[in-house]
Amino acid sequence: MTDRAILRIRVVLVLALLAIAGRQLYVQLIAAPTISAVPTNPRRHLADAGRGRILASDGTPLAQTVSGVRVYSMHGAAAQLIGYDSVRYGTSGIEDAYNAALEPATRSGDPFAQWQALVDAFQGKPASVHGADVITTISPTITRVLAEQLSRYPRGAGVVLDARTGAVLAMVSQPTFDPNTIDTTFAKTVLLKQSPLLNRAIDGEYPPGSTFKILTASAAIDSGTFTPQSHFYDPGYLHIGSFTLHDNEGEATGSQTLTGAFALSSNVDFARVGMKLGVDTFYEYLHRFDVGASLDFQLPATVSHIPDPKDLSDGELAQLAFGQGALTVSPLQMALIAAAVANGGKEPRPYVVRDVLRDGVHVGTVTPSTLAIPITADTAAAVTKMMVAVVKFGTGTTAALPGVTVAGKTGTATNPLGRPHSWFVCFAPADAPRVVVAVVVENAGYGATVAAPIARAVLASALKVVR
Amino acid sequence: MTNALPVIARRLVPMLIALALDAWMFSFAPVHAIGPSWMLLLLAALACFWVLWQPAGMRRDDFLPALAVLLSGLGVMLVARLSPHLAQRQLVWLLVSLVLAISAGPFFSTIRRLAAVKYIWVILSLIFFGLLVLFGREVNGAKLWIVLGPVRYEPVEIIKLCIVFFLAAYLSETGDVIAMTRPWSIRENAKYLGPLLLGWLPALIILILQHDIGMAALLLAVFASMLYAATRRIDLVLGGLCVFALCAWFALHHYGYVQTRVSVWLHPFADPLGRGYQSAQAYFSLAAGGLFGTGYRLGHPEFIPNVANDYVYAAFSEEFGALGGLVLLWLFGVLAFRMFAVAVAQPDLFAKLLALGMGATLAFQTVVITGGVVGLFPLTGITLPFVSYGGSSLLANFLLVALVWAISARPMTWSRESSASSS
Repeated sequence: MTDRAILRIRVVLVLALLAIAGRQLYVQLIAAPTISAVPTNPRRHLADAGRGRILASDGTPLAQTVSGVRVYSMHGAAAQLIGYDSVRYGTSGIEDAYNAALEPATRSGDPFAQWQALVDAFQGKPASVHGADVITTISPTITRVLAEQLSRYPRGAGVVLDARTGAVLAMVSQPTFDPNTIDTTFAKTVLLKQSPLLNRAIDGEYPPGSTFKILTASAAIDSGTFTPQSHFYDPGYLHIGSFTLHDNEGEATGSQTLTGAFALSSNVDFARVGMKLGVDTFYEYLHRFDVGASLDFQLPATVSHIPDPKDLSDGELAQLAFGQGALTVSPLQMALIAAAVANGGKEPRPYVVRDVLRDGVHVGTVTPSTLAIPITADTAAAVTKMMVAVVKFGTGTTAALPGVTVAGKTGTATNPLGRPHSWFVCFAPADAPRVVVAVVVENAGYGATVAAPIARAVLASALKVVR
Repeated sequence: MTNALPVIARRLVPMLIALALDAWMFSFAPVHAIGPSWMLLLLAALACFWVLWQPAGMRRDDFLPALAVLLSGLGVMLVARLSPHLAQRQLVWLLVSLVLAISAGPFFSTIRRLAAVKYIWVILSLIFFGLLVLFGREVNGAKLWIVLGPVRYEPVEIIKLCIVFFLAAYLSETGDVIAMTRPWSIRENAKYLGPLLLGWLPALIILILQHDIGMAALLLAVFASMLYAATRRIDLVLGGLCVFALCAWFALHHYGYVQTRVSVWLHPFADPLGRGYQSAQAYFSLAAGGLFGTGYRLGHPEFIPNVANDYVYAAFSEEFGALGGLVLLWLFGVLAFRMFAVAVAQPDLFAKLLALGMGATLAFQTVVITGGVVGLFPLTGITLPFVSYGGSSLLANFLLVALVWAISARPMTWSRESSASSS
């Protein structure tokens, strides 16, 4: 009898142990993410201790943890691109996109990483207590020049690419913030109407204005519809149905070739080009340049907006041809269009992280690749000549550099928010392009007066850095 | 004796396996945290001597001492990782525990002679309480320690064994009578349950007065188990549970420290930097562990205050994960089950109740502390047997295992004639 009672006590014990096991599995598996996220959890600081560095292309640490504190050497310059890592507010930019690599594997909470750590331990490998280093293509020198140039205006953005590879050499968004102090300033910063946290270079949605004529001209020549010598006449206005459009950058350009119309930025002539090409051809080239497709970038980038071709009127198509209407792009998108022209018709795939270095082993090497081949090399050469004309005698003379042939295009994008956005997109040297620059300054007026001088200063410094 | 070698081998093999596992675990510990090596060799030699030195012609459950050594080795490994200084002391306590467990062996082998002695255990436990009042020192708000020079001892760990002795002795005599008593007959119930409660209640009351709720809950669970096993009267167990529930309800409304414990249990993150600090840190530790754990010495359990004592299970579960925790629970379950099996195998009620009571003490102590750590119920500070840092607990639990191991002795099959039941 007593023995049967003992067996019953055994059952009670088993039930108690099962209840404990159940509760423990719940705490360690299901509730764990919520518990770990509690701000007073000291492990969140510890995770930072072993966090990997973000390095510039020359090896300069852009972000590194020094005695438990995340230090950003560039402060406000490129803050949106590099991002922040805050115990309280999470991560952004590269800090966010490469968080899994930067975090020490054993602390990432990822069961597979923990399993790998266990296997490593059994094989006698040292425990990987440090996260991987992320090596970028960012040039601190070019970034500083671009940031310094843009800081003189309230809002704007710029992208500098290696013309041959698509590597991002600099990416700056103005206004900016200091990621070193994000823990104390985030609450205020996030409420600002100017959105300093927004990376305008990849997430800004701007009408491109006349800089988009690079694409229109490429389509015009590549499709065989026009040559650079095709003749146009611009009286300063154009009636399309009930709608009249006016030139806004140059005055009436009168009798011009396509090159002249491009150099002097005639909206009237390019409206005619767009309408002659027709919706089908124009949209074919939009797709060829990958405009409107999701940008295959390492950070989430906003997709360019193009209107639906099905119910597009002649007037709307004409506007698209000179970069107005219901078209919005990011500075990165414009830089890629220019890069396609600079690179003999091959549009490079943009990238900013070129490698991940874990415990001395390269585990994430990025090979430069081609995103699309929208135009032939001949077309690219012809459009390059037209862009050189812009800087030589057209609207973009303020971007000219001594001793270097610069190919560029101005843009003055009218928008509902105030004065036009000032754009300049260029590359140099024109005969063997190494650097592409795209700059937009919001509501700053003519492209030639604001964006072009910025691009010029950036080009000057970039050509010294990039060989 | 031709069978001597196989017998020795059979007695030694479980212990050698345990020692090998301990050595393997120690090899991962921080350099110089465990040792010196002659100390480890001495401990290993003592452990082997412990299982070899048992009466000839008898067979005991040799897995019991082996499991005790395995678990205490695991404890040393964990404590060494949390505090090398404490690990040194734990090794000394381990030495003392082994020596005492071995010395007490002959006494435990004849324990059935003490079946008639009942109240000596009550007097003994009251003497310990008296010492506590006279020489006790307050640590963390509770007067639980006797301090003699460099040695600090928590007498409640020995008292818990005395209480089990008393209950086994008393119930082995009166259990059947209580079983026959009709539940509604107050006079008859009082006649036999009265002395039982008189012997057991003072210990409980003193523990409650000293705010040692964990040990009080443990004594209650052990009392309920032994009473139920001896009398098979579920009404007494249910009655006891009702009394416990009433006491708990009363305490919740009248004692601030009980209220704190419960509110911290219900809302561990309501005051994470104040009263809930320890509990919140334990949860962070568990959450960091996940299924597989961070790996030995790769976690950060050191944020938990008092981690080597009350929260050693959280530290273990952070670094070895929920899976490691389940394996440890399973080991404790195996140890308790083997003790219950020893109880079932005993022909006499005293030894049966003694083995059951000791097994239940170990099992419910594990339940009370691990359940508290993972938040199944409010945490009450007692040690995880063998694993937590603490000499008092280690010593008491080694004596506990040594006793049940001695009780488990039964004649070997090939020498059945040599011995019958000794009682």
